[in-house]
Amino acid sequence: MRQDDQRLLAAESRKGSGFVVIAQMQVKGLMFDPSNNTYIVVLRDDEHSDMLPIWVGKSEAGAISMALENITPPRPMTHDFMKSLLDAYDAKVISVVITDLLEHTYYAKIHLMYDDSEYTVDARPSDALAIAIRSNAPIFANESVITKQSSDELQQWLENLKPEDFGKLDS
Amino acid sequence: MANIDLPKEQDLVEYRVDRILEEANTDTRIVVLGRQDGALDTFPIWVGAAEGNAIKLALDTMITPRPMSHDLIKSFAEHLNITIQRVVITDVKSSTYYATVYVANKGVERTIDARPSDAISLALRAPCPIYITQDVLKRRSTTNLDAWLAKLDSKHIGTPEVQET
Repeated sequence: MRQDDQRLLAAESRKGSGFVVIAQMQVKGLMFDPSNNTYIVVLRDDEHSDMLPIWVGKSEAGAISMALENITPPRPMTHDFMKSLLDAYDAKVISVVITDLLEHTYYAKIHLMYDDSEYTVDARPSDALAIAIRSNAPIFANESVITKQSSDELQQWLENLKPEDFGKLDS
Repeated sequence: MANIDLPKEQDLVEYRVDRILEEANTDTRIVVLGRQDGALDTFPIWVGAAEGNAIKLALDTMITPRPMSHDLIKSFAEHLNITIQRVVITDVKSSTYYATVYVANKGVERTIDARPSDAISLALRAPCPIYITQDVLKRRSTTNLDAWLAKLDSKHIGTPEVQET
């Protein structure tokens, strides 16, 4: 295959024509960003060492943090309720995908399996991550999102962070 | 709301969300429920700021650019053909209210334990009726209510509703 053809194929795949290059991501940590009082969820593609930071609000960070730390709150939090609703009808979260980044807003899809059919539901990444972690479902990101991010200066900043910098969220 | 199957209908009183108040200097919101039939009674529930804002968005029928958490729950329900039938405030223990969300799918009814804030947020979006049991109405936490009324009388009259952050 000529290089031009390959490039064309890659471009086609990124338009979402049924075949999109995706990478599996691990949640590496949750950090406070004091510059704007928000939190950053850091996802990492362990195979390629790509980082994907996602900015989320305080309550969204709390929902992710509780799941990461396996905390069972005295009362069900919003995403625990969400999980209970799915469990009540044996619907399963099979995966979540961070799909797009437009004007600093991330888009995600939640893939559900229910009654032998698959459903795709539009979501914010914070909700997608909060439900994925509670469901032990894999997290993916479209490579186009990772590519857009890696051009950011933040990439280098994140890579230089020491593990100690990844503080746990106070709950 | 007519024609819905209530197991203990005589024990339930229907309420609606009247307004959301911001408690000064705290990260707290007060969800004020009022009787659906117009009878004079208000039932305040203290919730967190994020929870209060989620209810406020639904109350004001605000469309957010991206789906908020309870929009996602509604979206799950729609995709899976689950009907959110009603929410009921079922219990109060140590000043904490408990709620139950009744859902149904192909005739299979399930009940899900929830915080009142999640239940109310979802009820407004579904939309579905909100009930409080007679038992809870009798045992409501009056300490909070008295404190709230005192505050309302002294300085909260005319205070605008909660601001969006």
